[in-house]
Amino acid sequence: MTDVMKHTFGLLAFLTCLTLSAQVPTENDYYKIITLPVPEGIVLEVGGLTSLPTGSLAAATRRGEVWIIDNPDMKNGQSPTFRRYAQGLHEALGLAWVDGALYTAQRGELTRLLDENGDGRADRYDCVYSLPLSGHYHEYTFGPKVAPDGSMFITGNVAFGDQEWWRGESRVKWRGWTLKIQPDGTMEPFATGMRSPCGIGMVGGEFFYADNQGDWMGSGGLVHVAKGDFTGHPAGLRWANLPESPVKVRENDIYYRANPRFSPPGKAIKPENIPDEKPVTFESVAAEVPGVKLPAVWLPHAILGISTSEIIVDTTKGSFGPFAGQMFIGDEGQSKITRVFLEKVNGVYQGAAFGFRDGFQSGVLRMCWGNDGSMYVGQTNRGWGSTGKDPWGLQRLVWTGKTPFEMLKVEARADGFEITFTEPVDKNTASNPDLYEVTGFLYKYHPVYGSPVVNDKKHLVHAAIVSKDGMSVRLVLDSLRRHYIHEIKIDSVVSYRDGQRLLHNTAYYTLNEIPDGDKLDVPRRQPKKVVAEATPAMSAHDAHFAMSKSPDEPKTAAAATAKPAAPKALAKRQTRKPEDWDKTDKTITLGTLPGLKYNTTEMTVKAGSRVKLTFSNNDDMPHNFVLVKPGTADGVGEAALKLGLEGEKMWYIPKSSNVLNHTKLVGPGASDTVYFIAPTAGKYTYLCTVPGHAQIMRGVLNVVK
Amino acid sequence: MFLMRLFTLLAIACLPAVFQAQPTFPLTELPLNDMTPFSAPPKNWQIVGDVQADLTKDNALKSSQGKGILVNLPEKNSNGNLLFNLQHGDIDLELDVLMAKHSNSGIYLQGRYEIQLLDSWGKKTATFGDIGGVYERWNDAKPEGQKGYNGIPPRINASRAPGLWQRLRIEFQAPRFDASGKKTSNARLLRVTLNGAVIHENVELSGPTRGQAFPGEAALGPLFIQGDHGPVAFRNIRYRLYSDAPATLSKLTYRSFSGEFPGVPDFNKLKADNSGELKALTWEVVNGNNDFAIQYKGTLNIPKDGAYRFELTSFANGMLVVDGDTLLKSGWWTRDTSRTLKTGEHAVEIAYAKSVDWLQPSLGLRVEGAGFRPTDLHTASSAVVSSPTAPILLEPGREPEVFRSFIDLPSKRRIVHPVSVGFPEGTHYTYDLDRGNLVQVWKGPFLDCTPMWNDRGDGHAEPRGAVLLLGDFAPLSNADTFDVQAGYRFSGYKLDASGAPKFSYNVFGAMVEDHIQLKEDGKYLSRSVSVKNAAQPMTFRLARATKLQQLDDNTWAVDDKAYYLRLPEKSKATVRNAGGLQELVVEMGNGVFVYEIVW
Repeated sequence: MTDVMKHTFGLLAFLTCLTLSAQVPTENDYYKIITLPVPEGIVLEVGGLTSLPTGSLAAATRRGEVWIIDNPDMKNGQSPTFRRYAQGLHEALGLAWVDGALYTAQRGELTRLLDENGDGRADRYDCVYSLPLSGHYHEYTFGPKVAPDGSMFITGNVAFGDQEWWRGESRVKWRGWTLKIQPDGTMEPFATGMRSPCGIGMVGGEFFYADNQGDWMGSGGLVHVAKGDFTGHPAGLRWANLPESPVKVRENDIYYRANPRFSPPGKAIKPENIPDEKPVTFESVAAEVPGVKLPAVWLPHAILGISTSEIIVDTTKGSFGPFAGQMFIGDEGQSKITRVFLEKVNGVYQGAAFGFRDGFQSGVLRMCWGNDGSMYVGQTNRGWGSTGKDPWGLQRLVWTGKTPFEMLKVEARADGFEITFTEPVDKNTASNPDLYEVTGFLYKYHPVYGSPVVNDKKHLVHAAIVSKDGMSVRLVLDSLRRHYIHEIKIDSVVSYRDGQRLLHNTAYYTLNEIPDGDKLDVPRRQPKKVVAEATPAMSAHDAHFAMSKSPDEPKTAAAATAKPAAPKALAKRQTRKPEDWDKTDKTITLGTLPGLKYNTTEMTVKAGSRVKLTFSNNDDMPHNFVLVKPGTADGVGEAALKLGLEGEKMWYIPKSSNVLNHTKLVGPGASDTVYFIAPTAGKYTYLCTVPGHAQIMRGVLNVVK
Repeated sequence: MFLMRLFTLLAIACLPAVFQAQPTFPLTELPLNDMTPFSAPPKNWQIVGDVQADLTKDNALKSSQGKGILVNLPEKNSNGNLLFNLQHGDIDLELDVLMAKHSNSGIYLQGRYEIQLLDSWGKKTATFGDIGGVYERWNDAKPEGQKGYNGIPPRINASRAPGLWQRLRIEFQAPRFDASGKKTSNARLLRVTLNGAVIHENVELSGPTRGQAFPGEAALGPLFIQGDHGPVAFRNIRYRLYSDAPATLSKLTYRSFSGEFPGVPDFNKLKADNSGELKALTWEVVNGNNDFAIQYKGTLNIPKDGAYRFELTSFANGMLVVDGDTLLKSGWWTRDTSRTLKTGEHAVEIAYAKSVDWLQPSLGLRVEGAGFRPTDLHTASSAVVSSPTAPILLEPGREPEVFRSFIDLPSKRRIVHPVSVGFPEGTHYTYDLDRGNLVQVWKGPFLDCTPMWNDRGDGHAEPRGAVLLLGDFAPLSNADTFDVQAGYRFSGYKLDASGAPKFSYNVFGAMVEDHIQLKEDGKYLSRSVSVKNAAQPMTFRLARATKLQQLDDNTWAVDDKAYYLRLPEKSKATVRNAGGLQELVVEMGNGVFVYEIVW
């Protein structure tokens, strides 16, 4: 290629990009969100949602009402009507229609609602099963989900300690458990290890659940729950030795392998992540302890949600688009829905998770199918906050009839993965193995809230073989690690038909089992030489490795580039008082409030003043403090979201000159103190860049002259 | 940090309540052994040992000999009013009052301002003429129908049934006059509660009400009770007089400093930015709202030898020093302390230092003595006034509201499976599904759901109005709860035609249905307990109380006349002693047992 040609090609590529970016398809082109009008005065904090044989919807709310919503799809352009069917339930967080009755889980009861006099309103509230409670606010109960044989599954949250408010406790029987209950009230303790099991669903007649990140839960994940399973949070093991318990795992089995780090009595010290330890993973515990159940599909925290909710299977047989038979999982905090492809290998469930649809009005809690094959999405964010800013809502997701260019499924192979697309791929690009980036990783299993990504390894893709029909690509990898989550990121592979890029270009495959089968005989490639010194061109991944040597002190751009000759320059996270400061001019103490809020949303400092800021996190989820240049908060929030797997390790601080100063990622109960010099006069935003928080959790630093 | 935030909330929540919570200055009891506390008492007023009204007969009140109860038993020619010897200005007054059916009386504060006493049992709304109302003023010059004015109704009708003791508490502030005798401020009801419900708060009284015993208004006057309208009884009359001028702060100066002050600094080593004189304590002498310290010095003028309580509020560090002694060392939030002081001048020093960005500044100092109410020594804007959450209140609509939440009892026990039922008629109850127990009843507004529905909430709702606790036990058990052998299992509830629930449960192999209904438009409740499949008779505990009295064949007064139970004819209820309490029990086989709860 001549230089002229190079330039011309470059220009063309540039123009092509421009053209493409003008018409880059969005989720909205394929799936439209329609908001249902709700009569004024109704507070529809949806905790349970189901469709009825009549085509109406039934929604149970956290305020304890059940509403029957007629004409939810607004046929003839008419608004839906709302009728109160039941009332006074205690935080109803599930709803199912079985044999002419509605079943709902309240905090302390599985309840059957019946309309005996036929006036369209419940007049009989049967206690199917009464659940013990200690009276703690976090003792929520979810469900029921109904098995084909009519038995029902409900799940229960743990409580938190009075003093050790971050630690999940099972104060009374069956908190932190899944219970199987018959309509006649017979109860069978089924499995434990649940922490905050809001995500529940039946898949192919079997019960699945999805937990929320927290203590002992490095990330959310989809778990197939079989009788006797232990799924991660040890609180419920307190009851495992009761005669009626089918769970064989005991507290000691867990605590022997993963130190619970109980604080000494009277000392409320929140365990914090230990950066340099050899991590215990849940997989390593499962390998030694029978009865420990690993997630079928991990949903990487902050990437595919932060607080998983409803699990539903696409039973629309195509009315909802090309994903029939797959699963959709809601997320409260990020107001989104994730898609999951599930397969069974060696008798074990596993599969891949993909982004599907963002942008719901509030926290996505419950989903169900309408009679026309559209999806109804019931929402609430009270007490927790969500990316969608409304306090609650009910929306409908409708397929436009257009097929998005997506990975339809990812299946495990003996030597890699086979990716099937919704449309044929362009073979020229799709056969380039360099366009596939595969990284395996796990999470820690520890009593700390959440976990960074650990044991991560970038795989070499030896080959990308496109099928004859162009519908699938077979990836041959250098190796596979059983149990690991594999991030498969596809760069610039386009569709054959119109050159579109993938709507969502990343899949997360949890490889619980490596299937037998043929390994393809392809030439082995050699890894590219890694440039010895970190250069500006180093990838985020390399940067991460550079960082991981001292993970508690990542080199921020400023710190890395600060030359010895410029003595006054501070790191963006300067944790020690600079030696040349004789005093600080301003000390700021910043805290948090529940529901994604700082406790101070406006602060004033003088330009150039020496500021000491202590950010204390008294919420029950991690947050950070990031001070950004005026007008750049949205961009920095977006960039943090795109950090993907690196996010947690980088404390969700994107490398950007728009980031002026920041703290580390501060876990619940912890704090971080930083020193910085106030910038020139102006209004600066500070925000939490934890994915899902950036839009809401903000404040203003007024810098005055 | 988390704890600090908790403390902020607590501190803010507790500001007005701190003094009530700790009775450093106890009330004085008015002895009711004889008629000596009263001035020339007419003979319709007597000291007796017990009284009993009749729910069916107007103005019927029987008494029996003894001490401790003041009763008015008016006759046609003997129906004088009762004047107390006690003269009062500002006063806290507490008493129990018992009305005969359809009786009428009134307590005149200073002989001039009438808090109406009336048998207002069962009325849906209350006017100035109902119990707890401030009766109208009167102008004879106006035409008929316009003579009465400025009556103030109670917020709710908190009345109990005739013949039951009702608790009234009045915090009254007398009118103020200047040296020439001209009134400078009106009398006020600072707070009035009836049966635990607040019925007035911070209400000004423009002048004496109709039937006043003395002309005009004055700084002092005697209590006075109407005796010419019907039988009424009183007991447990207690009061606290506020007759002293409050302590004051004078010669107040300040020095202010800017900079970072994590604690109260040594002011001697610092150079002040500003200094000056003040009339009242305030932090608002500095610029900005953070990174400052202020030192105040002044004179505390104590009116009388005695004990004094100080309450210092400082968001960030505050300190209080009197006569060189540190009464409150450097600390946060609202704290209090007591000190005995002699009449006269005392040197006082207050320090306030704040370098905490996330808090609004707040500085306040209150002082309370035996003879004066808690008095602010700071400006109105210096101490933070909290802005609580907008309340989320629940009222029944056209049908009963059958509502589950946690319910917290005064014993601090949290009921985890209760149902509260709110009726459109304004009568409500809470039922414990774990014990088959009717826990509490009340009339008026239904529930405050703010603690449950604001933010995450803690899952509990609070009854509003005048709550009557009936008991916290399992009626069909011999203990507070059922043991495993009882095989108790709650099975649900059905709504009757009116929308009220019928609760069902199984216990001891029997099926029990418990149906609580309103009677006479919500004046009282009827409870129907029906039993099927009982293998043997069960003992049902109707009440567990400090004192039970059988008033007639079928009527029992419970807890020293806190409420009535009316049993069916010929029911064989017996009283037994258990754990220092009395229990009213019936044997229950298969069949239906219906009784009434009247209050």
